[in-house]
Amino acid sequence: MVISPTKPTRSQLIEEYTQRLESGQALLQDSPQNLIEVIGVLKSYGIVLDAYSVNLCYIANTQFLKLFPFFKYFNGEINPKKFLRNIWHDRINYEYAEYCMKSMMWHGGGGLDAYLDTPEYRAIAYKVIKAKFKYNPLMLGLHKLFPDFLPELLRQMCYYSGLGQFWRVMSDIFIDLSDRYDRGEIKSIPDVVQHILDGLVKDAARPIIYKVTIRGEEYEIIPQSMGITFLMDTGVPYVEAIFFRGTPFHGTISYNAQAYQIPYDQGAFGYGALYADPLPIGGAGIPPTLLMQDMRHFIPDYLMDIYRHNIRGEGDLRIQICQSFQKSMFCVTTAAVKGLAPHPLDTTDPEQQAANRNYLKGWLTRLFDSQMITVNQN
Amino acid sequence: MLSALILIPLLGSLVVGLFPDKTGKISRNLAIATSVTALLVNIYLGWQFDPSTSGFQFSEYAPWLEWIGLNYSIGIDGLSLPLVFLNSFLTLIAVIITDKSLARPRFYYSMLLLLSCGAVGAFLARDLLLFFLFYELEIAPLYFLIAIWGGKRRGYAAMKFLLYTAVSGILVLASFLGLVWLTGAESFAYEPLRQHTLSLNAELLLIAPLLVGIFIKIPIFPFHTWLPDAHVEASTPISVLLAGVLLKLGTYALLRFGLGLFLEAWVFLAPWMAILAGISALYGASCAIAQKDMKKVVAYSSIAHMAYILLAVSATTRLSITASVFQMVSHGLISALLFMLVGVVYQKTGSRDVESLRGLLNPERGLPVTGGLMILGVMASSGLPGMVGFISEFLVFRGSFPIFSIPTLLCLVGTGLTAVYFLLVINKVFFGRLTESLAHLPRVKWVEHAPAFVMLFFIIAFGIQPSWVIHLSEAQAVALLTGG
Repeated sequence: MVISPTKPTRSQLIEEYTQRLESGQALLQDSPQNLIEVIGVLKSYGIVLDAYSVNLCYIANTQFLKLFPFFKYFNGEINPKKFLRNIWHDRINYEYAEYCMKSMMWHGGGGLDAYLDTPEYRAIAYKVIKAKFKYNPLMLGLHKLFPDFLPELLRQMCYYSGLGQFWRVMSDIFIDLSDRYDRGEIKSIPDVVQHILDGLVKDAARPIIYKVTIRGEEYEIIPQSMGITFLMDTGVPYVEAIFFRGTPFHGTISYNAQAYQIPYDQGAFGYGALYADPLPIGGAGIPPTLLMQDMRHFIPDYLMDIYRHNIRGEGDLRIQICQSFQKSMFCVTTAAVKGLAPHPLDTTDPEQQAANRNYLKGWLTRLFDSQMITVNQN
Repeated sequence: MLSALILIPLLGSLVVGLFPDKTGKISRNLAIATSVTALLVNIYLGWQFDPSTSGFQFSEYAPWLEWIGLNYSIGIDGLSLPLVFLNSFLTLIAVIITDKSLARPRFYYSMLLLLSCGAVGAFLARDLLLFFLFYELEIAPLYFLIAIWGGKRRGYAAMKFLLYTAVSGILVLASFLGLVWLTGAESFAYEPLRQHTLSLNAELLLIAPLLVGIFIKIPIFPFHTWLPDAHVEASTPISVLLAGVLLKLGTYALLRFGLGLFLEAWVFLAPWMAILAGISALYGASCAIAQKDMKKVVAYSSIAHMAYILLAVSATTRLSITASVFQMVSHGLISALLFMLVGVVYQKTGSRDVESLRGLLNPERGLPVTGGLMILGVMASSGLPGMVGFISEFLVFRGSFPIFSIPTLLCLVGTGLTAVYFLLVINKVFFGRLTESLAHLPRVKWVEHAPAFVMLFFIIAFGIQPSWVIHLSEAQAVALLTGG
């Protein structure tokens, strides 16, 4: 009698992935193909993140409280050539970075979000607004009439700065990863995860500070004394907002809130980068994401060769990048999961193991509906 | 000069068939050269054609078998010129879109050109028996083209086609023989036979087999069952020719011989034919809604759209006759485009099943250009303004409504249903998420789409400027009704 293989159940799969993490493996299967894809795509992602980071910090530092920041994507360098390039859209899509920033701001979480609701922040914001519009009675009058408006704009600037500083670190981690791979130091997916984890741990306590200068005077909007740090106050909320809840991937799936396709609880959202469908649906001409559009310019040759050997060649490059990107994000998620675990995942202490298992079950339950299974099947 | 239109594909067919060629490259190039030459001659004749006068132009005559009343007599007029154009154009398209790696290419291209020769000969014939010979001549190559290069059930489909069209031919021949016998004419020449003085009963007796024979050819419900099978089993280029040209032999014969030879009986039967057209349009549309095979949807759509021609010819007004010719051209272009695009989908996905295909409009991994062209083709078939389908159907309904309002309304419902069945197909096949099994489709090269773009150009051009075609047949439409 032939017994056909049965599809593993949800709990079986969660158990399988738990064991995989406990044994030092990553959420993404270790294979030479996956390694090349992850390294290659993270290299291009690192380059793009660098550009995003520079622009986000530029906007936060120089374009704050400007009602019409027309040239915010120019990084202070305005000339006809750059202007034409901008309107032709032959440039980095900084809009993607802004969408991520807005997503973080919307979903909140972490110390930065908590700080921005405190009276301390409000006091500093009022001070900055008064200084900024000292000679602008119109804006001061507007501020009197709508006292929440300008502080809210400033709150947004804090996220610009926070995300800019977060991506600065991540960009360096990814570029360094690529360099180590080129030197032959990275040989497997667990090596990739360890590299990212080391980078996150190294900068975990790095302070997030936001200072602006108005007429020569410096104002600390996020002062160091508030203790906002890289990992817990920007990194973790970023992962929650962008990886899990909702990423600005255009042209993927549209949901109908009136048909209850969107959960009432934002915490139950599953529209993040780990969940996104790389295949765009419907609308012709819409790229899978602006991010993929940007990354395609910086894909290293060894990865591009693999993409070109696909049946569509470069015709579906953005989808291929998106699929590789999702793989790489499962490595970043693995690093975050390991880094935030209550105890080392290879612990032999039964109590610690039980605590870890409980912790991992929570993550894996959430990840179960993501593309985790799919990326490991392809 | 006019004989060149018959001789070029005939000679081409012989040369291709006899010229040794192992790879099929020479045969293909010869077939393309033959088709291009025929098209150029056609353009030249079209340029020289005087649309302001009725009657045959560029006539040629040679005595042949005078003892049986058969002579080689050909000519072209406003009714046949657009169809001869369509034949030359679609033959070239069919040759171009033929799979380069198909088996037995010499025989294939030879048959394709012979098919084209048969069609053009029938359109040009000024002799009833000559028309019949060409009408029969195209049956054999088409039978081979379906039976050899068709799908899995090609034998069945080809045999069914052969039997139906053979019966059609016999009925047409019986009518022609009866006409000559009853009138006592000495030959099968078309013009003298138009002047006959037969009674209504005699005309009815003669037109009955003719109409049944033609209804099989068009085809009109309930004589249609061979067509969906033939389309489904035929390869894409043959479907293009079948829908684009060969069905028009039926509607052309309807105009030329049904109306042209038996005007009194025609007027007597017209209300019944109009009702049959309405039923056929609704039947074709209803069947199209139920189909799961994309090609069958287009095939049943063809049945519905060909019924509009019967409606227009039945109305027997100047406008409706002109409209019927324009609808032939319109349907020829649109159905050929749709069959071609269904062929592209089938070639790339290996399926035409509406239930299994999904998300093909995906811009990166699907067939977005094919999907876009398909949507435009569907829009044209549904009669959206700005495209040839709108003008032709509008003229048909405008010309027939004052005469046969109820059948026209039935056909209007049918045209409304066109949007229903085609949108169902478009929605299922092209929208939604690309299924995993279709996520690695090969790319469609621009060269593969080029013929579709050319056809789309004419579909839009004739939709914006229909007079380019209509003015060719206006004078002849009047002449047909006035006995001129």
